[in-house]
Amino acid sequence: MIGNKIESKVAPTHAGGPLLEVKNLKVSFETVNGRVLAVNDLNFSVQTGQRIGIVGESGSGKSVAAQALMGILRGADISGEIIFRGTNLLELEEDHYRKLRGWDISYVFQDPLSALDPIRTIGDQVSQVLRLRNVKAAEAKKKTLEILDRVGIKDPQRRYNDYPHQFSGGMRQRAMIAMALIGEPSLVIADEPTTSLDVRVQAQVIDLFNKLTEEQGTAVIFITHDLSIMAGFAEDVHVMYAGNIVESAKTDEIYYRSIHPYTLGLLGSIPRIRGPVLKSLTAIKGKPPAPTDIPPGCPFHPRCTYASSECAELKPTLQIPKSGNHLSACHHSELLSQKNGSR
Amino acid sequence: MQPILDVENLVKEFPFKGDKKNGVPRAIDDISFQVFEGEALGLVGESGSGKSTTARCILHLLKPTSGKVSFQGSNVLEMNKNELKSFRKDAQIVFQDPYSSLDPRMKVGDIIGEGIEIHDPKISKQELRNEVIEMMELVGLRPDHFNRYPRAFSGGERQRIGIARALAVKPKLLICDEPVASLDVSIQAQILNLLQKMKEELGLTILFIAHDLATVRHLCTRIAVMESGKIREIGDRSQIYENPQHPYTQSLIAIVPEPDPISERARLVERKLSKLKEQP
Repeated sequence: MIGNKIESKVAPTHAGGPLLEVKNLKVSFETVNGRVLAVNDLNFSVQTGQRIGIVGESGSGKSVAAQALMGILRGADISGEIIFRGTNLLELEEDHYRKLRGWDISYVFQDPLSALDPIRTIGDQVSQVLRLRNVKAAEAKKKTLEILDRVGIKDPQRRYNDYPHQFSGGMRQRAMIAMALIGEPSLVIADEPTTSLDVRVQAQVIDLFNKLTEEQGTAVIFITHDLSIMAGFAEDVHVMYAGNIVESAKTDEIYYRSIHPYTLGLLGSIPRIRGPVLKSLTAIKGKPPAPTDIPPGCPFHPRCTYASSECAELKPTLQIPKSGNHLSACHHSELLSQKNGSR
Repeated sequence: MQPILDVENLVKEFPFKGDKKNGVPRAIDDISFQVFEGEALGLVGESGSGKSTTARCILHLLKPTSGKVSFQGSNVLEMNKNELKSFRKDAQIVFQDPYSSLDPRMKVGDIIGEGIEIHDPKISKQELRNEVIEMMELVGLRPDHFNRYPRAFSGGERQRIGIARALAVKPKLLICDEPVASLDVSIQAQILNLLQKMKEELGLTILFIAHDLATVRHLCTRIAVMESGKIREIGDRSQIYENPQHPYTQSLIAIVPEPDPISERARLVERKLSKLKEQP
């Protein structure tokens, strides 16, 4: 691994435990309308090489949580613990964080056009990750050409000197992925990496993540609003709503035996290409709440078909219902798990 | 049956300066299709296939290079100013991006009412207001949103404003250019259901443009598949989804992901194997 030659990858103390452990993470912002809690008590962990999916719509807090992990949130109040290889990143000094970022934890942004610098060549930007770690220019270029080739950019020699505007949307996303993976990180956070792309290119990007993470044993946190795109990729899925995880389980449990009304609603909202043609889709009524305006009780209750008086008053905790086998934050999870759960 | 919209041999070239050795690129390359009254036709293609250019040429927002667009029997491209004005009342469009397609300085009520007033300048303020409120209720907006600006609304609500604006002038044909592509999943379903309801209740004819075949499946009874400026296949829903003839249609169906982990994993492996086979 080239990493060893340059500098060791962060804390050596990590042994056995999960690669990443997020405990009671809360992120809030001070706004003109008062304090806004964007992420409310997030708990999850990622094992080495594991693929985690985080699903949520706008305002669910999924991107804020990801950016908190990367230490790139400015002006936010962050509390809780983000333990990466045994070190709490929230206590890390900026100097150390910078060495880690883009190197052992990297990030793929949603919009590659605004994430890439328009006036620098692709090769320059991808190789920068290495040059910043004092890899010699010739060696950095060689590695960059290799990774560009591996992410499926044809004729990398010529493309190395191209500018982002000369790349198509899919190619730019490949360049972003190349940049994220060139340091051989142990964790990649991909924030809606497929959202602005054509379906065909989406599949190519998923295949690419699949291939590279398999080859390198990289753990991935894949964030999306699209339950279809990551169905074949993620091993575990966390569903987020209004700053909370509302359901959390193995992928098949979420898709085939969900016990949360929001997840069930999301699944019903997706137009299918196979199966019976439905008269109408089972849409969720209303819209996701703004972080400034989270309803009391269960944040989903105004949109929920199962809501009862209890839901408007008491916020449900994330727990495994008696006859269920995975985490859900809903007062009706018990009922739903008898209906949908362990069949 | 007479088609409400008849597109014949439509071509749109975008000429450029410089080397024309390979000819002028054609965004639309000689396409013909018809839309019948009361139906919803899906026009599906990936980015760059020419589907949005087609919509713009039909509405004469772009001038086609050649070909003919007939609306209820008269050629749109030869219409004079007055005819074009009445055509624009009868054929409306909902744009993809609900952020850039609404004037940020106009109030919602004015955005929806503007078209009504243009086509009926003598309408009284009270009548106009009533009509606008009726439209707002129809698409699921609250009447008290009348005096708000677009910035106060989410993407899905803005798209409802866009639909109300288009429907306010009581068009016969509604062209929807990827109206749900930028919306949250739960909101996409709401908008698709709304369009289905409008089609049934108002007898609206819809040309629905999308980049994937799943989005149009529930709404559209006929589908046209576009690639590189050409229509590769056009047919009834059952034919396109159950017995697609063109390899491009087949590949477009095969690529749509589904919220079904077992089949998605199988497809991931399938794609991996076919990729390995391609390599020497």
